[in-house]
Amino acid sequence: MSDKQVTQAAARSEATTTTDPEPTPSTSGDDTTPGRAPDDHGPRGSNGDDRAVDLAMPHLGQIEQAFVERWHENATGCFSSGHKFCREVCPVTQVTRNENHTPTAFHANVIGLEKGHLSVEDVADDYVHCTQCGGCEVRCPNTLMVGDFYRARTETVKVVRAMRAMLVDKGLDREKWKVWNRLTDELKNEPVLGVEGEQPNGQAQVRDWAAGLDIPIGGDTIMFVDCEAAYYRTSVPRATAQILRKAGVEFGLMNEQWCCGGPAAEMGYVEQSMRFARHNVDDWRRSGVKRIIAIEPHDYVHFTEDYPAYFGDEFDFEVVQIIDLVAELIRDGRLELVKPIERVATYHDPCRLNKRKGIHEAPREILRAIPGLEFRDVDRVTQWSYCSGGGGGLPIEKPEITAEISRRRLEKASELDVDLLVSACVWSERPLTAAGDEAGIEVRDIIELVAESAGIEVGGRTRA
Amino acid sequence: MTVTASLGNEVVDRLNEILDEPGAVLTSRSSRFNRARVPAPFPVHRWEEFLPDVVVLPRTTEQVSRIVKLANELKVPIVPRAGGTGLADGAVPMRGGILVDVKRMDQVKEIDLVNNTVTVGPGINMQTLNRHLRPHGVIYPDDPASYACALVGGRIGTSGLSLLGARYGHTRDLVISFEMVLPTGEVIEVGDGGGRKVRKSSTGYQLKHLFMGHQGTLGIVTEATLELVPRAETEFAAFFLFEDYDTAYRTFSKLAKSGLATLAGVMLFDPEKVDYLRRDDEAYIVQPAWVKAVCAVSLLGTRVEVEPARDVVMKLGRSLGGRYIGDEIASGDWAARHDRYANPLHGRDKNGKVIPMSWHCEDAAIPYSEVPEVLRKWHAIARRYCEQYEIFDDWGAFAYTNAAHKPWGDILLEIDMGLWEDRMDEYSWQAFVSLKKEIAQVAIDHGGSMSSCHGATRAGDAELVPTEMGASWEVMKAIKRALDPHNIMNPGKQSLDEAYSDGHRS
Repeated sequence: MSDKQVTQAAARSEATTTTDPEPTPSTSGDDTTPGRAPDDHGPRGSNGDDRAVDLAMPHLGQIEQAFVERWHENATGCFSSGHKFCREVCPVTQVTRNENHTPTAFHANVIGLEKGHLSVEDVADDYVHCTQCGGCEVRCPNTLMVGDFYRARTETVKVVRAMRAMLVDKGLDREKWKVWNRLTDELKNEPVLGVEGEQPNGQAQVRDWAAGLDIPIGGDTIMFVDCEAAYYRTSVPRATAQILRKAGVEFGLMNEQWCCGGPAAEMGYVEQSMRFARHNVDDWRRSGVKRIIAIEPHDYVHFTEDYPAYFGDEFDFEVVQIIDLVAELIRDGRLELVKPIERVATYHDPCRLNKRKGIHEAPREILRAIPGLEFRDVDRVTQWSYCSGGGGGLPIEKPEITAEISRRRLEKASELDVDLLVSACVWSERPLTAAGDEAGIEVRDIIELVAESAGIEVGGRTRA
Repeated sequence: MTVTASLGNEVVDRLNEILDEPGAVLTSRSSRFNRARVPAPFPVHRWEEFLPDVVVLPRTTEQVSRIVKLANELKVPIVPRAGGTGLADGAVPMRGGILVDVKRMDQVKEIDLVNNTVTVGPGINMQTLNRHLRPHGVIYPDDPASYACALVGGRIGTSGLSLLGARYGHTRDLVISFEMVLPTGEVIEVGDGGGRKVRKSSTGYQLKHLFMGHQGTLGIVTEATLELVPRAETEFAAFFLFEDYDTAYRTFSKLAKSGLATLAGVMLFDPEKVDYLRRDDEAYIVQPAWVKAVCAVSLLGTRVEVEPARDVVMKLGRSLGGRYIGDEIASGDWAARHDRYANPLHGRDKNGKVIPMSWHCEDAAIPYSEVPEVLRKWHAIARRYCEQYEIFDDWGAFAYTNAAHKPWGDILLEIDMGLWEDRMDEYSWQAFVSLKKEIAQVAIDHGGSMSSCHGATRAGDAELVPTEMGASWEVMKAIKRALDPHNIMNPGKQSLDEAYSDGHRS
């Protein structure tokens, strides 16, 4: 069993234990917890006054109670050690240097809620400051030393997501996330081309990127095209489709592809995420789909962790990450890279591949197979502290932090004297490209490079 | 002085004027609660008592100076905080006030490869700094267990210990000079004499050592010039196993007195530590039952030095019957020395039942000759508390060579205790404080110091600072009074309030 299979199995089993992807209970119903007042404002009144907390009072509302019960043990593991190894790898904290934004604070806040010191309102802003990259989890000494034995890790990403779900439930969600998710709900895809004015978003354009490629609909295997790729960086799905075709991999597209629902889940809109997931699974089922090729790492996480948690055993699809597949095609000689690419490049480990899913060898194998390319690598562990800032809804709510994270990433690349930064995550490529323009370093997707080296005229565009 | 209730909007407005940046003056409950504690066991039931009133995130020395002057004018407590990873509450506000969080002062200002110095802000972490330095073939070798999270400002504040101290020195040896904002707001440079990059001087008083380990009670560090040493070409670690503690203890001394210049440190695990690792640390590779104690040693340097020294170490380590653990475990365990900082997060109650626990660590400096007797007394105290209260577990002791470049004399003796923090109430918190006091008293009685590297800043230790300092306590109080006339700098620590009683209050 490969590591990825183990991860998938673990994600499935999580379906029976986690409360995270469940729709959060409504606050308006009867309070069924004996001895607890149905006060959904936490320890203090909603007017935010600072009067002393009476710890003898049942201070938690029903939603908070469920939240702290679910996360108490995980939070205690951090609170009681509190070493903060996570701080220096956290891409957001590296920029803001604000202790409120550290993963440690995300866990301490759980204890603060539990003890009646803090309300959800008090901590809401803290949890916006996270890209859900998972660097804190892999760097946590509790994961490294104790977790090795139990195959367990400190869970911070799930805590952030559960807190955001609680914010949505309590109407404390952020304004820009609200707009983004409302538009996603209306369009059925993310408004990646902008949230104002007449953008050519929507289902009518969802397959525009494939113009002239004559890709069939449905079939045993489908390629799931992320919103950013479908509408913005269309060179990525075009390169992917043409590589697969050249290597003789049969695949189709969905009948009606909606957003995967992952970003909604990341920002706490759990109900919406589940609704979108339901649509997509039903669409796959109708077309007899068995296998999904995820061309984007966020989608891959969502399909291998959230979908199985939402649907349990019903979710029996095979999910393939494009990087693994392309590495295999090159290894097996099914895809020949013939055209030299005379560039000096380094590789950006996308967080969701490296830190979340442990996929770091395949992309390096691919880059080393490209003729002419001088590859200056930075190891995956050093890259635990790297990020583009493009995930977890951060660029929507805090674009200035995303931009600074990307600027620093390019600064690291500059030190290597490269003229090309290669990523494998289309969501990272927009902020990285903007920073690359400043740094004089081009940013490309690994699949675009593979296509070029395979002699394919890709077409599409890499920026607006 | 209690201002918690009275610190009003005017202070916040004036701080905002000084900082002049959105989000640099924080008053939210979350901002304050998250800066009330450090990793040491904490009286969660009294969390509210340790809150700062306001948090500031300055970027410049000038801002820090103006903030301190404001605190002085208003006679408001002011507490510096760097990483907040100390183990003795140095950065925990005892009386509210302004908390100066220096994490934004994390720049590498100058790398001087000619004079081998690097100048940094106090908010930078050593591992991060060393990543900057790597391309230059040099390293700043301050290497505590908290290497990945401690910040330079806190290392100076506590006068920390490096696990490579026998080879390269500790924080006080590796920090050449630093800039300090005094409790009245003046900015001074302290080092050896006047030059920022001078390592040895006979001009004036040795003020660097006065401010090193200031624990926030004498000001705020705003910049530091640090030593750069050539990156070691190779390292070597060996672990030796023993059937009894005494032989391991004597072997420790043989290794410490080997005279090898590349010796980075020697370590000792006592039988209680081996027991604990065996019973509760899943990451520990279990050794045979006859193993009762472990002695470990590491070397760093050039190949021409380390390779022959390795043979000396192997010979000395085995000379009294120690058995070598094997290359893989030795190098692996040594490499994991920072991540080892994490404890298993569980221990046992007196009936052997597994319970979730936090880690507490005592850190006395003890003359080598006294170590067996101190350990005997410490474990007896620990046993008594474990019997009497349900929240304690004895996790055994480590010993490390304590002095820079002179590893043969005194020892950092560390007893680790598990604490059931979740069950902490006032009754058990007071028991913890009294346990600490008893342990510290033993260290003093045996000619040691109660803290080698964390600081005597928390309840249980703080009361004994005058005892340990003896007649020099009067000098210490006079210095504190002279530099901090209004007792605004981190008040309530180390019994320093005494400097302002007995008719001394200004």
